[in-house]
Amino acid sequence: MQLEFKVPIFDVKNLSFIVRGNTILSNISLEIFHGEYIAIIGPNGGGKTTLIRMLLGLEKPTSGEVKLFGKKIKNFKEWYKIGFVPQRASLVDENFPATVEDIVKMGRVAKCGIFTGFSKKDAEVVKDAMAKMDILHLKEKMVGTLSGGQRQRAMIARALASSPEILILDEPNTGVDMLSQQRFYKLLSKLNKDENITIVFITHDIGVIADDITRLFTINQKATICNNPKETISCEDISKLYGRESHLISNHKHNHLGEIEC
Amino acid sequence: MLEYEFMQRAFIAGLLIAILASISGTFIVLKRYSLMGETLAHSSLVGVAVGLVAGYNPLWVAVVFAVLSSWLIEYLRSNFALYSDAILSIMLSGSLALAVIIVSLGGAFNNSLFSYLFGSILSVSNDDLVTIVLFGSFSLGLLLIFSKELFFICYDEEVAKTSGIKVKFLNFLLVTVVAIIIALSIRVVGSLLIGALMVIPTAAALQFRVGFKNTMFISLAFALFSVLFGMTTSYYYSLPSGATIVLSIIALFIISLIINKK
Repeated sequence: MQLEFKVPIFDVKNLSFIVRGNTILSNISLEIFHGEYIAIIGPNGGGKTTLIRMLLGLEKPTSGEVKLFGKKIKNFKEWYKIGFVPQRASLVDENFPATVEDIVKMGRVAKCGIFTGFSKKDAEVVKDAMAKMDILHLKEKMVGTLSGGQRQRAMIARALASSPEILILDEPNTGVDMLSQQRFYKLLSKLNKDENITIVFITHDIGVIADDITRLFTINQKATICNNPKETISCEDISKLYGRESHLISNHKHNHLGEIEC
Repeated sequence: MLEYEFMQRAFIAGLLIAILASISGTFIVLKRYSLMGETLAHSSLVGVAVGLVAGYNPLWVAVVFAVLSSWLIEYLRSNFALYSDAILSIMLSGSLALAVIIVSLGGAFNNSLFSYLFGSILSVSNDDLVTIVLFGSFSLGLLLIFSKELFFICYDEEVAKTSGIKVKFLNFLLVTVVAIIIALSIRVVGSLLIGALMVIPTAAALQFRVGFKNTMFISLAFALFSVLFGMTTSYYYSLPSGATIVLSIIALFIISLIINKK
């Protein structure tokens, strides 16, 4: 029998983050593997965004270590493998002089040479990313004139333009209407299943994606990893996590997971 | 008017400064660094004061002081919890105070300093022109080579960083290039007015709500027009050249506001 050892995309060991005496994250260890669809939930201020920022090298941990594709962050060079959609994705400066195409092209910048412009291949990949996100018809539009949902798709198209292996999304649906959100969740699921892109997604809305996610991380200073969230997580777990009584609003597909109502 | 050699030099210098100020200004405005022009212009004045007192070429010493000052600003912005505009304001007042003390101690508070404060385009020498061409083409070359990276950073510094772009290096590069351009420009439009030539053409171009490249072209066209128009007017009506150029560009800004009113 041949044993197969998989290198995790993210390998986090004993990660802690303390700012001016306040513990934001305490001794977190977790691994994220290729092809997974992971949802991260937790109360506001619980450290979800901080964790993501440390995974991306935007914050340095007080102690502990993060490895990306088996390499320490300081030695990691292949950042194009990671697509990041930040929390403020749908809240852009309305006066910024960029068309949708300009924004999506940004995703190719790190892959282009310094002295060379965008190649034909770059143009094709950008076009393909816009087509996947159904915004090709908006390519000439100024980003400030888009709706929240359209901006959100433009930001994801930008992340996809670098042909990433993993997509990290930090509550990108803030300020986006319900219809656009549902469309967005379907797109994420499609990217995970059809394109085999690993998804890590911070959300408060686990009900809608419960059928798609492979694991659920709950973060509130410490991390709890739930390997079979649909079957095992309960209202008590959520109440404990959010520190007050919480209810899961069941969706029609199953009775265990839904939106969190505190 | 162009039969005079000094007017030919003045026009060449003015047009070169218009190109440099408007293109670098596009990045500065989009990065919310509009006050940077004013601040570095005053830091250049410290260099001019040192040059005048010590007997060196004031333009060269101004370049050195402006670059050192830009690095200090960027270092303070990246490493301390200080607001960018507060840093710029402190540096602006501090530089002006230092320049005045130096010239007053050295007994050099005379017409030479006055010409750097308000600009004296008609006294641009062949040496000045060579310095502007040398440093200016170097600075412009760097801006154009890194324009796609700088555009990404202007839009979203953190996402640019997570996609593998050397944000810290490019931020230092941008402020260095801007510092050089400002130091070169104070001979032509003066330290009190260069900020305007850097910011207002872009502010006017932004009113047209077009993409990045077109915004840069409009900004460039406005800067070139205002320099040509301002200098011609100043010649025929015996007005100060720097102030006339700035009032011309403000007129273009007002027209842009009116014709693009929402």
